[in-house]
Amino acid sequence: MSDNQPSRSNSPPGAVAAGLSPWQDAWRRLCRNRLALFGGITLLALVLLCYVLGPLFAPSWREQSLSLGSTPPSAAHWLGTDPLGRDLLARLLYGGRISLLVGFVASFVALVIGVTYGAVAGWRGGRTDTLMMRAADILNALPFTIIVILLLVFLKVPMQHFDAWLTGLPGFGSWQGAGKVLVMFAAIGAVEWLTMARIVRGHVMAIKKMEYIEAARALGYGPGRILFRHVLPNALGPIVVYATLTVPAVMMLEAFLSFLGLGVDAPMSSWGTLIKDGAEHMEECWWLLVFPGGIFSLTLFSLNFFGDGLRDALDVRAAKD
Amino acid sequence: MVWCPSGHFKTHRLQPSEWPDKRATKTVPQSFARERAALAVPAFGCLRFAMFSRAFSVLFTAALLTFTGCGKKDASATFPTPAGTAAAPRPQILRLGNGAEPKGIDPQDISGVTEGKIVMALFEGLLTPDPHDLHPLPGVAEAWEISPDGLTYTFHLRANAKWADGEPVTAQDFVESYRRMLSPKFASEYAYLLYNFVVGAKDYYDGRLADFSKVGFAAPDARTLRVTLLNSTPYLLNIIACHQAWDVVPLKVIERFGPPDSKNGAWTKPGNIVGNGPFILKEWLPKQKITVVRNPLYWDAANVKLDAIEFHAIDDATAEEQAFRTGRLDATDTMPLSKIDTYRRDHADTFRIEPYLGIYFYRCNVTKPPLTDKRVRRALALAIDRESIVKNITKGEQLPAYAVSYPGTAGYTPIARLSGDLAEAKRLLAEAGYPEGKGCPPIELLYNTSEAHKAIAEAIQQMWREKLGVEVRLTNQEWAAYQDTQHTHNYQMMRAGWIADYEDPHVFLEIWSSDNGNNDTLWVNADYDRLLQSALAAKTQDERYGIYQKMDAILVDECPVIPIYYYTHVHAISPKVKGWFPTRLDLHPYKYVWLEP
Repeated sequence: MSDNQPSRSNSPPGAVAAGLSPWQDAWRRLCRNRLALFGGITLLALVLLCYVLGPLFAPSWREQSLSLGSTPPSAAHWLGTDPLGRDLLARLLYGGRISLLVGFVASFVALVIGVTYGAVAGWRGGRTDTLMMRAADILNALPFTIIVILLLVFLKVPMQHFDAWLTGLPGFGSWQGAGKVLVMFAAIGAVEWLTMARIVRGHVMAIKKMEYIEAARALGYGPGRILFRHVLPNALGPIVVYATLTVPAVMMLEAFLSFLGLGVDAPMSSWGTLIKDGAEHMEECWWLLVFPGGIFSLTLFSLNFFGDGLRDALDVRAAKD
Repeated sequence: MVWCPSGHFKTHRLQPSEWPDKRATKTVPQSFARERAALAVPAFGCLRFAMFSRAFSVLFTAALLTFTGCGKKDASATFPTPAGTAAAPRPQILRLGNGAEPKGIDPQDISGVTEGKIVMALFEGLLTPDPHDLHPLPGVAEAWEISPDGLTYTFHLRANAKWADGEPVTAQDFVESYRRMLSPKFASEYAYLLYNFVVGAKDYYDGRLADFSKVGFAAPDARTLRVTLLNSTPYLLNIIACHQAWDVVPLKVIERFGPPDSKNGAWTKPGNIVGNGPFILKEWLPKQKITVVRNPLYWDAANVKLDAIEFHAIDDATAEEQAFRTGRLDATDTMPLSKIDTYRRDHADTFRIEPYLGIYFYRCNVTKPPLTDKRVRRALALAIDRESIVKNITKGEQLPAYAVSYPGTAGYTPIARLSGDLAEAKRLLAEAGYPEGKGCPPIELLYNTSEAHKAIAEAIQQMWREKLGVEVRLTNQEWAAYQDTQHTHNYQMMRAGWIADYEDPHVFLEIWSSDNGNNDTLWVNADYDRLLQSALAAKTQDERYGIYQKMDAILVDECPVIPIYYYTHVHAISPKVKGWFPTRLDLHPYKYVWLEP
């Protein structure tokens, strides 16, 4: 991804004269990276498809036709139907809503917690750092499954109240099970931020010794401003890459939890559960595995290419030489 | 189900020993092999994608495990083939898929079908079932007499009946075994198969009677056993022949490993256990297989044809089918739903659909609203399209169930029938205070994790939502947790099955009495309990069946359980297996079974 360096040296000298902001600069570099652009556009298309077109055009994701059973792709059902006669396309788009939601929201939760925590620990250093990082180590040592099971057990009743309240609201009738998805956000987010915190802490510790940070200090800036205006933007590359890699990991965790009966419950679907069901039928009904597997892979590819492109685009050092 | 429910799911890496062997790989259809390769290259090709590959390795592990039968290696695959050693006959080793890992093999402490099949090889009771129709044949007892009033059974034990350690099996052994079975401290789940019939047994079981000699079991001499009954029970011989509750256990051996009324099971470990059946336990590899080998001291050893039987613990139907297809099993216990059509079409020589006396139903916890109201339970029962379920989902020629008793059990067919159309169901629901399902709290339906149960639950969930407006939440638990939930009644509605222990309509009706350990619905009906007692005391079969009709009518009216379909046994068996006949209880006395070379 970084081997289109030569094209950068060809950029017109006028651009420098015009004085591009770092963000404009990054945007230009991102646009020049074809793969990253492709990844970004695909992601955007998938999100649009799942959240906008899915609810508008696809048939119901839970309407069954038992007598129809599993049929291969046809004009009526573009991606075929599952053994209960449900339209696979509709279930795929519906599953995408849950998988993408879990992937992005839980990653975002992890991102916010991890970056803040790591930055504070790295910036303060000393005893604060030791305390904070040991606390993170302890959390890391707890088995993930047990945390999730405990959370789900303790939050079962509030979850059901939340469900009842939500499904009672106009327009939210089909949101049954949202409470459980929320708990999953919390549980996955609570585990995934740990690595992020470590990465950020390491970078912050390196960056805070730089001359420009000293200069900022000498100018009398407060720690908040230095941290968020000067330190973190310089650590953005690894953060972005790790965040984009967290999304697929989280989506897999969601599939894992659904398998254990802790994730989304039938008849709701997520890409993970669809792939699992498809694998059970792969010898008779290839479409049940190929389409969910294909769209899941496509999402992961897009995320990785996009993340790589973002890193290249945001890496100030790589750009300036 | 592909996702092998082993504990190391999350961090599992494929070990070399778990790679699919060549034989298994050969059977991978081309289309999937290509799909797998397409996914594998980017995932493992580049270091950048380390996270990505971790994510995918879970999927691959799951997918690959399908081809290796949950990673289990099968030692028997290395036995010499007839082609290689033409002179030596191939050892007669029957390899059976046997469902989940057995809970134990103490004949008096088991209640599952899985365990029962192993116990049948290791122990023998007074009578044994006929391999064709399960009618009672001589076992340890070579002859028996029934008094004219039908209340006293005298069994004459054969002289050459021996324990596997060479000791003779005596009538006293049987009396001691029944004392253990009925011990209040031991609390066997199946004690009712004795105390419902035998004089004084219920009192002893309840602790009201301390002196076991007053219970109706007597051993006048070492080879005579006399059983005194409360009522004439014409089907008792069937129970004795078919059910392990009446088997004999080696008290001397049990006492060597602990008090006789403890359930610790140390005595059942290989090397400790002493049985009296046609086979002896050789090896128990937990979560893999149990191997039993021929017992040379068995009284009928000359007629036992098999050298060994392996009971493989494979609770994943897909993995089991795979093991069968690659020749690692001679018969499967079940068949994945998705494979039924393929087998029916392409493998008719191995595919079997056999009658199976059992019912698939939903159990209601009648103490949890809205299921406290029988009108709600009835409405739910009426709104299930059973024909569609058996035709499109289970596909194994199952019968839709509109009553609890299996039709045609020993000549009894229930007349009572869940009848009423959708309008009736809606009216009942409205009467209960939930017109069109409005205000009805959502029902939580629990099933044990399995593809088939999930499919049925999803279909019924949709039927209730569409037809009645009743919302259902589905939850699933793995087998052990699910059983705990059932026994602690910590559920609202759950899927369940009941397989007959012997062929008499009594078996489907006795479990719904309020004191029965297998009821688990908390449903109590005084009329029903009274009817059960009068059925036990009935003098003639007509009178008895008449009472059963009333009991079935109560069940259909009250719906503590919602019948869905009557089972059939759908499985695959190699044509090499001979002497294996379709019996209605899925019992196949192993001494008649052999393998065609």
